[in-house]
Amino acid sequence: MKIDEAIQDVQRAETELAKRLRLTGERHAVEHDLFHLGHTLARKCGEHLDRLATVAGKYGVQAESAPAAESPGLLETARHKASELLGRSEMTGMLLLRDLRELYLRAQEAEITWVILMQAAKACRDTELLEIATQCHSETELCGKWLRTRIKETSPQVLAVG
Amino acid sequence: MSDRIAEVWGSRTSYPAGGDWPARVDEFVEDGVEAGGVDWVQSACVLCSNGCGMDIGVQDGRIVGVRGRSEDRVNHGRLGPKGLFGWQANNSPDRLTTPLVRRDGELKPATWDDAMNLVVDRSRQVLTEQGPLGMGFYTSGQLFLEDYYTLALMVRGGIGTPHLDGNTRLCTATSDFALKETFGTDGAPGSLTDFDSCDTLFAVGHNMPETHTVLWSRMLDRLQGPDRPKLVVVDPRRTRIAQEADVHLALRNGTNLALLNGIQHELIANGWVDQKFVDAHTVGFEKLASTVAAYPPERVAEICGVEADDIRAAARIIGASERLVSTCLQGVYQSHQATASACQVNNINLLRGMIGKPGATVFQLNGQPTAQNTRETGANGDLTGMRNWQNPAHVEELAKLWNLEPAQIPSWGPPTHIMQILRYAEEGSIRFLWITGTNPAVSLPELHRIRSILGQDRLFVVVSDPFLTETAEFADVVLPAAIWGEKTGTFTNHDRTVHLSEKAVDPPGEARPDMEIFIDYAERLGLKDKDGRPLIKWRTPEECFAAFGEATRGRPCDYSGLSYEKLRGGSGIQWPCTDESPDGTERLYSDHVFNTQTEYCEDYGHDLLTGAAHERKDFTDQQADGRAILKAAEFSPPHEPPDDDYPMLFTTGRTAYHFHTRTKTRRAPQLQAAAPEAWVELGTTDAERLGVAEGDFVRVESRRGYLEAKARIGGVREGVVFAPFHYGYWDKPDQKAPTAANELTSTEWDPVSKQPLFKVAAVRVTKTGRPVEERS
Repeated sequence: MKIDEAIQDVQRAETELAKRLRLTGERHAVEHDLFHLGHTLARKCGEHLDRLATVAGKYGVQAESAPAAESPGLLETARHKASELLGRSEMTGMLLLRDLRELYLRAQEAEITWVILMQAAKACRDTELLEIATQCHSETELCGKWLRTRIKETSPQVLAVG
Repeated sequence: MSDRIAEVWGSRTSYPAGGDWPARVDEFVEDGVEAGGVDWVQSACVLCSNGCGMDIGVQDGRIVGVRGRSEDRVNHGRLGPKGLFGWQANNSPDRLTTPLVRRDGELKPATWDDAMNLVVDRSRQVLTEQGPLGMGFYTSGQLFLEDYYTLALMVRGGIGTPHLDGNTRLCTATSDFALKETFGTDGAPGSLTDFDSCDTLFAVGHNMPETHTVLWSRMLDRLQGPDRPKLVVVDPRRTRIAQEADVHLALRNGTNLALLNGIQHELIANGWVDQKFVDAHTVGFEKLASTVAAYPPERVAEICGVEADDIRAAARIIGASERLVSTCLQGVYQSHQATASACQVNNINLLRGMIGKPGATVFQLNGQPTAQNTRETGANGDLTGMRNWQNPAHVEELAKLWNLEPAQIPSWGPPTHIMQILRYAEEGSIRFLWITGTNPAVSLPELHRIRSILGQDRLFVVVSDPFLTETAEFADVVLPAAIWGEKTGTFTNHDRTVHLSEKAVDPPGEARPDMEIFIDYAERLGLKDKDGRPLIKWRTPEECFAAFGEATRGRPCDYSGLSYEKLRGGSGIQWPCTDESPDGTERLYSDHVFNTQTEYCEDYGHDLLTGAAHERKDFTDQQADGRAILKAAEFSPPHEPPDDDYPMLFTTGRTAYHFHTRTKTRRAPQLQAAAPEAWVELGTTDAERLGVAEGDFVRVESRRGYLEAKARIGGVREGVVFAPFHYGYWDKPDQKAPTAANELTSTEWDPVSKQPLFKVAAVRVTKTGRPVEERS
């Protein structure tokens, strides 16, 4: 049984996704929805890791927790700086699109690691793990859907103007 | 008539459940005017979404007064203070009477030809350099249906940009979206007569005594009459409606969703669910039940800062109701998790089977008088006729109506919301912004940001308005607009009642109706249909209304059976009005078949947490097909919680005496005298802790800005600070300290409805003691 590897893959993917969500949210803080939802969804990644931790030990995997958010004061500063430096330039559009695409791929990666874990849980008849994986999977899938919506809305403005 | 400044709701005319609301005609004419010499012209009030039927009194070509229409189904003759006195703004000496063009940094009078040619030249330049996505348009909730429909065709069909929104985004976007999420399309299910027969009222974040004074009179006549209905109120403030309540849940701002989940928890746990109705007419019950199972009263009490027993008591009243009317307003729509919360109010009525019959409905109420029409015509976040931008067949119908290629109509994404339009202007991809009849420099959040965006040199700003507003100060061209009373048109209130408002007087100077301005612009710009004929085929409001009737045929908001002739006289007619239902339709969904058929629905819905848009396959997977959709959502905490630096929660709101940014009401002497200046409300213990007494000047400060105003003590829960949002600067240009509440609010919006949030900012309060000019 190699479920431990599937669990570690999920941990890596969710940790990376959380980091990327925060990074993109901060780098594009002038996109206020990205800033707020990026942090909300990064918190969700943390919750997923916490839930996974409740069963990880059973498979000999060490619990992993998501990188903590910085304090609001620092974020606020970063946001204003980013806003001043980048906010008034059309060039931010291409950067935004690239970052969103990258983030979307991270969300897809996390999503598929959950699918893999769900399959393993089913085969091993681990209902506890399956329940956690199923719920977390649907939330991670939503993160991807949200990004898909956002990318579909953003790309025409970035690419068709000028 | 009593003193309607002191007695906002007038004298009581109580009536029993199921009775007719007695008529009471309110009238106000100028001093010295003999009522006998006045000509009365049919209209309706444009100072809130109730849309009370009124006649405009005219003498010697001038408006001299108003009176309520006793036969009108909406108000039975009554008018509120804004309606009675607000019309005086029409006669204001500072109305704009000629176009203004900025030359050498200053706005100077110009001819219409000069101004329009400049607007058209700049449009052509932006269209050449940036393309259609370089053009943005932002309209109002104050124009008429005919203005909006012309604008929607001009922008979406002619110019081909999705960047058209209304300031209705600030007042009713969540109403619109919550209705679409639950019922498949926009459209208020119920009728105002449901207030006459209900036995229980559930008001969530709805300060009705201030926002909808005449509707509150109707409720008060029930509450103080025989068969008093029970009343449950959710609001952080001890408002007049809260004082009448059987249970007042004074929750912490930003926690509506947890509270509503808690109430649903109780309804389900205690078996107060009409399971037969739910099984037959809804989908999503299992998911909802499992979601709200995690919200027992004790947990909710902790999140919301209310007593668990009060939650139980509220649920018990709702659970025992036989005819339940629920209402929502800005306390939901402009707060955290707005659409998610509004959907839970829909759910509560659905769980109780309380919809589509007398006395039982949910009102996702509107704010502005003509907000419903921006939604129907497609001048905001929707496509004309409540069509679905993701449904190619709907887009093709529009293209056929407008004689355009379907690809000309932007449907690759949803219509762009105003906060995003401004973001595009901020980064520089939008270079042309035409603002009609609204004042974003006071009404949008985080004003320093709004000012800095509007003030950019590279952004060409056109403002159409009757007055020189704070926003007009940023304009390159200002166009003087005719308003209500000076043009003919129609508008629709929050129970789908359509009223005709006739032209009573000529507009001042060279002011013109918005519809005429748009047609003029479209002609000068050479907007054509696919056969090379002028895009806009109508010249008069009546022709436009007939065209809109065709555009809505077969859609939920079907106007095809309406005409100006039919609307003249009488009392307003509710859509849908068709050949089959020529007198209109009092209630939607009386057969409990909802508009959730895939081919018919207006929207495929969203994930309520993230706003991820569902696509067609997601929608069909739900197999709603005529059943209402119970949407569930988890509570998530607001994004700016109070902390050591900013320990209090800020919320904004309204007074009965002013509308929006006071452009009209400030010019009515009675209204101005009633609420001449900004104020701030603090809870009693907070005031004691801060050493603030009634009338002391305080400074309220967020991370984004501050305001200073006199304090009123009491009336809000501890930890909460309230300020009205009306008070900008146009009437006091030399004012030393800011008074606009939106200096403090943050740039954030609901992920689904994209309605900006005005109810959840962290602030700190300090006593300044005296106004700025008196301090050393």
